[in-house]
Amino acid sequence: MAEALDRPTGAVTEETADTAVAARRPRRLDIVGRRNWFFAASLLIILPGIVSMVFQGFLLGIDFAGGTEFNLQFSAPLSQAQVESALNATDTPGTVQAGANGSFVIRTGYADPQHQKALMDSLGRHLNTTVTPLDVTTVGGTIAGETVVRAFVAILAASVLILGYLTFRFRRVQGGWRSGVQFGGSALLALLHDVAVLGGAFSILGKGVQLLGIPGQRLGEIDVLFMTAVLTVVGFSVHDTIVVFDRIRENMIVARSLTFEQVANLSIMQTAARSIITSFTVVLVLVALLIAGGDSLKGFVLALLIGIVSGTYSSVFNATPILVVWRRLAGASR
Amino acid sequence: MQLVTSWPVRIIVLALLLGSIFVDGAAYWYRLANHYPLTGYVSDMPPHFGDWQLYIHRGLDIQGGTHMELQLKDPPAGRNLADVQAEEIAIIDRRINSLGVNEPLVAPLGNDRIVVELAGVPASKAQEVIGRTARLVTTTWTEDPNSKYDGPQGVTAGYKPAISSLSGDMITGSQAQLDANGVAWTVQVTFNSQGTDLFGKLTQAAVNACPGTGTDCPKRHIGEWLDLTPDDIAHWDDPGYAAQITQDIDHGGKLVTNPTILDPIPSGTAVISGNFSQSSAKDLATLLSSGALPASITILTSTDVSASLGADSIKKSFAAGLLGLAVVVLFMIAYYRLPGFLASVALIFYAGVVLALFKVVPVTLTLAGMAAFILSVGMAVDANVLIFERFKEEMRAGRTIGAAVDAAVRRAWPAIRDSNISTLMTSGILYVVSTSGPVKGFAFTLAIGVAISLISSIVVTNNLLAIVTAGGWARRQGLLGFSRG
Repeated sequence: MAEALDRPTGAVTEETADTAVAARRPRRLDIVGRRNWFFAASLLIILPGIVSMVFQGFLLGIDFAGGTEFNLQFSAPLSQAQVESALNATDTPGTVQAGANGSFVIRTGYADPQHQKALMDSLGRHLNTTVTPLDVTTVGGTIAGETVVRAFVAILAASVLILGYLTFRFRRVQGGWRSGVQFGGSALLALLHDVAVLGGAFSILGKGVQLLGIPGQRLGEIDVLFMTAVLTVVGFSVHDTIVVFDRIRENMIVARSLTFEQVANLSIMQTAARSIITSFTVVLVLVALLIAGGDSLKGFVLALLIGIVSGTYSSVFNATPILVVWRRLAGASR
Repeated sequence: MQLVTSWPVRIIVLALLLGSIFVDGAAYWYRLANHYPLTGYVSDMPPHFGDWQLYIHRGLDIQGGTHMELQLKDPPAGRNLADVQAEEIAIIDRRINSLGVNEPLVAPLGNDRIVVELAGVPASKAQEVIGRTARLVTTTWTEDPNSKYDGPQGVTAGYKPAISSLSGDMITGSQAQLDANGVAWTVQVTFNSQGTDLFGKLTQAAVNACPGTGTDCPKRHIGEWLDLTPDDIAHWDDPGYAAQITQDIDHGGKLVTNPTILDPIPSGTAVISGNFSQSSAKDLATLLSSGALPASITILTSTDVSASLGADSIKKSFAAGLLGLAVVVLFMIAYYRLPGFLASVALIFYAGVVLALFKVVPVTLTLAGMAAFILSVGMAVDANVLIFERFKEEMRAGRTIGAAVDAAVRRAWPAIRDSNISTLMTSGILYVVSTSGPVKGFAFTLAIGVAISLISSIVVTNNLLAIVTAGGWARRQGLLGFSRG
């Protein structure tokens, strides 16, 4: 992408209007022209994720799975087998996983706080150590079900609102409301691309971690914060897309001699620097949080990171090409 | 966009800045000067505005504590669910009062659920206290040569309480009412037939106690307590323990009243007088007559975070956030030179205003909220990047600096507006749809951040740019980060 950054971009002003010249220069990066390559690249990334989502599903966090999750610190260093046998000795069906810094994550069925305390006390007796709960979460089955529904409602509502808002904002583009729907719909498709990438990545990550049995890592879990990350990514992705689309809207007025495809490519080139710089600054902060931040935020930050990188890619390489294809199929004059 | 650099806008932004500096700084200075703790809620700190104080409210995931959602089960037939919920909340509120938690939260959720948040209380303790039934315990006084505590209300050294067989479940009703003179609030308790009989005998015995010593002697008193246990009485010879127990219930004690019995009471109705206000009399009446909650509860969810984990997470995340922001500032200055530096200055304005809003609203700071704050800095930077990139284009097109700044702001505005509105929409949906505290905190923080970042990146940065470029020294191309040609 260094090419795109170095390349002098045409100044778009009513007075100079040298955009036409800029667009007719030999193109070093014709994104719209090579759109099928970029669509293929996206499919290549999404398909394994979708396969994984369909056939393996997700590693569900306690919010969605329901039950009780103990994150426990023991005063003596213990092996996973020791903790498992202690859990068996208490006659509580459950799973044990090693966590960060010698802590253990134990999942059992629903247990109210009094029973939680009893279980922790009895674990301590069996293991002959003191047990310090770092955090304990209980989620009843009904709540878990509601959370799933709420998550879908949220994503659906966000999609509808964004489609509606963009349609409204771009209704004055040549072609009227129909163009508005094309702009809004293309942004929505790019956004669904990001949701698919993020969902696929977490499905692979979560199930992969489980299959490989990597200790100390619980990344890839789907919890309430993951859903929050998805919606945030949706907001960010649309952010980037709007910047390109806004430029297209402006260029369609300024550069009347260009075809829509040329306008689209020019607009991508003019906004690429901004999209990449902005994402770069956010990525810098997120990487700092991922490496040095608190453990409880890591899954959340990783989801944001994947989503924002995907969002920038889809805004530059997918959203506008989709719009071009859509307008061509719809037989728009430009 | 002359509007951005107009004086009314400048004055509003300046006022916002000064107000924020006051809110951010004044509370700390005030606390420092008066030797109060620098952070957190301080009870009884003057000046009082109700319970309202300026400080950063830390969420349970940071300070540690228990969050629970309770489901009401089997409400009494024929009663309005909302009333049952309200009564339930009043009772739970009352019960957790004894824990002495700062700002406990007991709030309705829907019409058949209740949210409880208790900072620094483990979940098992919370469940125990919420499920506690307040029992009225009636005691007589017996001689105990080892008792050394001389207290109020006729509690005398040499005597200790003895639990009578009159128990709380013999109460059929209780209500708050004014006394015969219409001055003081009392609680009237009605016993069932067995209770009536027992209470009559107890009062008769008290009246008959220590004859010939005037109207008052320790054995003429009958104690009414909440939840007094045999274990408490076993510790009676420890004067400190006895003193604690005989505090009134608002101060962590268990003694409701210990009146002198003047006449036997055969009617089965006892009137408890004490230093009641209308609300405390009502509370006691609710506690006694409810005995149990009107509807049983089940725990839908509970989250119990230890204080150490929260403290560790916030420390790490705060440091990482600062590190990330420092890198962003360095990058902005390296890439955009003078405008980048000014944008970084605007970020300080942004951080100050958001912090002040956090204190005033108040917004509860959670880990996810901190992530939102950091993300919204990214948005503040984004608006600046849009404008600066545009600014470079306009300069290359041969405009003067002033005209280029103006055109850049004007042309970047639609994209900035639309993209920020889309983020506001997604955070609005998150806030409305979610019931989870951290998620709501994230959404709210993100929305505040987006709104303030708009002001900071557009108004503040560009005013700074306009002011600085008014001097000739700042007009060099190298400083402004572009080259013509």
